[in-house]
Amino acid sequence: MSSLELSNISKGFKSGMVLEDVSLSVKAGEIVVVFGPSGTGKTVLLRIVAGVQEPDAGGITIDGVDMTDASPEARNVGMAFQNFALFPHFSTHDNIASPLTARNVPEGRLKEQVSAIARMLKIDHVLGHAPRELSNGQKQRTALARALIGQPKVLLLDDPLRNVDAKLRYEMRLELPRLLRTFNSAVIYVTQDYKEAMALGDHIAVLRNGRIEQWDTPTNVYRAPVSLDVARLFGDPTINLAPCRLETVGQGSQIHAFGRVSPVSEAYAEATGRDLVAGLRPEHVIVTETNTPGSVEFDLDAVMPVNVRSVLYLRGPAGEEVLATVGESEAARFGRGHRKVWVSFAPDDILLFDAASGQRLAPRVN
Amino acid sequence: MGRRPDSHGSPPFFPSFQPNAMTFLDLVRTHMTVAAHPNRPRRLTMRRFLPYLLSLPALLVCIGILIPFFTAVYYSTLRFRLNLPMMKGFIWVDNYISFLTDAAFWNTVQVSLVYALVTVTGELLLGLGIALLLVRPTKINNAASIMLLLPLMTAPALAALMWKLMTNPNFGILSYLVSQLGFDNFNWASDPSSALFTVVLVDVWVYTPFIMILLLAGLRSLPKQPFEAAALDGVPRSFVFFRITLPMLMPYIITASLFRLLDSMQQFDIVYSMTQGGPGDTLMVFQVQAYLEFFQYTNVGRSAALLIVLWAITYALSNIFIKHWLKLRERAHGPA
Amino acid sequence: MERSSSLEKAIRGILITAVLLFFLFPIFWIFLMSFQTNEDILRIPPSLFFEPTLQNYSALLTGKLETAAGSLDIAFMRNLGNSLLLSTFSVLLSLALGVPAAYAFARFKFRLGENIAFTLLSFRFAPPLLVLLPLSLFFKQLGLTDTYIGLIWVYQLICLPLILWIVRGYFEDISPDIENAYRIAGHSWWRTFRRIAIPLARPGIAAAGLLAFIFAWNNFIFALILASASKQPVTVGALAFVTASGIQYGQIAAAIVLSVTPTLLLALYAQRYLVEGLSLGAVKG
Repeated sequence: MSSLELSNISKGFKSGMVLEDVSLSVKAGEIVVVFGPSGTGKTVLLRIVAGVQEPDAGGITIDGVDMTDASPEARNVGMAFQNFALFPHFSTHDNIASPLTARNVPEGRLKEQVSAIARMLKIDHVLGHAPRELSNGQKQRTALARALIGQPKVLLLDDPLRNVDAKLRYEMRLELPRLLRTFNSAVIYVTQDYKEAMALGDHIAVLRNGRIEQWDTPTNVYRAPVSLDVARLFGDPTINLAPCRLETVGQGSQIHAFGRVSPVSEAYAEATGRDLVAGLRPEHVIVTETNTPGSVEFDLDAVMPVNVRSVLYLRGPAGEEVLATVGESEAARFGRGHRKVWVSFAPDDILLFDAASGQRLAPRVN
Repeated sequence: MGRRPDSHGSPPFFPSFQPNAMTFLDLVRTHMTVAAHPNRPRRLTMRRFLPYLLSLPALLVCIGILIPFFTAVYYSTLRFRLNLPMMKGFIWVDNYISFLTDAAFWNTVQVSLVYALVTVTGELLLGLGIALLLVRPTKINNAASIMLLLPLMTAPALAALMWKLMTNPNFGILSYLVSQLGFDNFNWASDPSSALFTVVLVDVWVYTPFIMILLLAGLRSLPKQPFEAAALDGVPRSFVFFRITLPMLMPYIITASLFRLLDSMQQFDIVYSMTQGGPGDTLMVFQVQAYLEFFQYTNVGRSAALLIVLWAITYALSNIFIKHWLKLRERAHGPA
Repeated sequence: MERSSSLEKAIRGILITAVLLFFLFPIFWIFLMSFQTNEDILRIPPSLFFEPTLQNYSALLTGKLETAAGSLDIAFMRNLGNSLLLSTFSVLLSLALGVPAAYAFARFKFRLGENIAFTLLSFRFAPPLLVLLPLSLFFKQLGLTDTYIGLIWVYQLICLPLILWIVRGYFEDISPDIENAYRIAGHSWWRTFRRIAIPLARPGIAAAGLLAFIFAWNNFIFALILASASKQPVTVGALAFVTASGIQYGQIAAAIVLSVTPTLLLALYAQRYLVEGLSLGAVKG
């Protein structure tokens, strides 16, 4: 049974609907990442779960108990805010201890638990400090400790790594999943960083314009995005897109995109003749220096190193722009670009979307 | 700024002037129907009533003000003398109409307007000058600006007594100094020709620091870049003052002046303590006149009508004031 | 920064001195007068040098004024006590009424709240007599004339708008998420209000309280109309005292000094917040 169950939550403000018919379930010990660009209602969703905002419609159950109208203090929820929201007039210790004081935990046990969690999060040396004396990283860990210490049934993390520096963000991305599992809460983690979503989530809910556009495992969201929008949001550099049309040739179907003709599975046959968009992830583009069967000559305009990979800017015979990512050692062979290369890809790596609706074509299963 | 025209842009709540005035129950009801969603009938949780519960005492005070206010409006349409209770009767706007031909009324209007304009102009010029003098936050300037607050924190009624002692014809230090300068019969507040000057002087003494301290806060909050750029370009100082300083300071100047103008129109304490409106009717400002009308001549209807006229003037002004005041407030706190 | 020549510096110095002289001399002079005998006061030309005496103050403190015509009772110490009582309790009541309301207006956007806040604000600028004269008649019927309770109730007109608008600004400056975090941690609304909202707005509450005290103390017109001699504060009492004592200028000066000293000391103590208070929370100092 799910620990947290949101059913058909809707919420509107004067400016319009922020959440429409959002349903979500999170099991104890599971991390669900709610991902979406800013302004899509992610934070509002968390606030509704926490009980500091009310939904216009829909219900919330926690461990099977209807909490829709319960006040925040009755929900047994922990929340870490994006801006930390520490109590400025409390010490770090008292900040972390606040969920325990609410339950009248005796002094001795309280101290023990606070120092245990502070040790776990490596902030035990600043327990006596006031929030304003902490670094952003320490503030973030204090907020996290405060959210965790009550061992809440539901843990809400509102983009907790947004306001910390890159190094700490990377460390926390590694550290957080392990930490969160030890508490066995149902976790909703909000972020607008797709890498964070992929790294942390057991499931990802892609929120766009107040609706959940896709609900799936990270791998599936990446490999099989339901729509152009989702495909664009995941991946850096973003997916290559090209308009195309499905043609029937003899027995099979084919499309013309990215400079070449590719065969397409029969399962898509019913889309013949419609305007489509073909998507190809940059890492699926194969770039070689010599001609290989099925490859097309492209101009390599520029090579831009990004960490251990490099992004290649390619221009096709008809002016098609295609981005490819290759490993560092491979990139070295291309120097700084301005040369001819040969480009190919596996037809199976192509994702097909309906141009009008933006939805990915669902293969017809026989 | 100005993103929420619905609540803050609207004039303050005056039921008599607001056609769509709502009762408390109406408000609760509409609030509830808006909140109720077809899918989810709302429970009447504590949270929904909390704001009303918290503001209930303030609401009572509000009602405690509004009831006498409406009573005063009602009184102003009565023939109502405390000493002749049997004459009490409804006479519509006769009290107001009688003002039109009443020299005393026009004298009151004139005295009040002159008083307000002269004091506010004087205080604005002096206050701006002092603020510019003290704008650099040096230790001496800061200490001086704090010391200058003392007159403002003196009760105006007591300030008037202080000046009365200093202008006493027998021993007043100011009377002495003026006579040394050759003005032997300068009788300050007791002479019709100098009474206005004397009372204005006390008003200026008390309230200039008010304008000074608001403008000083305004001046010190101005962005530095335009001034640095002007200094680099060698722009003349007068140009900087009239084209940069003054326009940027304008919101503060307008707010402070309107604030003072509103209070000054209704000046009572200083005038009453110093001269009780005299000598003769030289200083018969609105509130002093209304006070005497009520307590000396026990003419409640006329007194109320006088105050309603004054209220109408100040209400119009206060709407303008509140608009400017809210802009400044948004600057300090963000939109409310 | 602009360079200033020494001439300019000198002019600035002279101007500042002149300004200070104009604004501080009256206070200084009355202070001197309060230590002078009537003979010293009446001496022409006036002199800065005299034998200071405490007799004016002792007359006020004992409440007995010995004159050539005989002994006169002075109720001035009672006025001082009235001022203290009226101002203190008005501010306390105003805080009790105003702080929760200010919180409601800051946190919950509701129409009634805006209406109350703006009604109180606009009555700050309405002629006080407009409300006072009908009230004086009501008070007679209600038996509130010349009672402390009646006066304290009316003093809310001065204190409440001030406290409401200043404290509201401070509550608005607190991030709601800080309170939300405390609620989510498991604390009730009331506890959150006491442990988070009030402590974080404390500087504003203290400033508003001090200022409201000063303005209540300095008020004249309310008590003039609604209080008889036994309930009058110093502002009204001093005027009555002038009329009664006639020529006892030393005592008058001493009475004025005693009356203004509390507010002046409070003002110096709270000067950091005066700008904000005087502008009803619109300008931060």
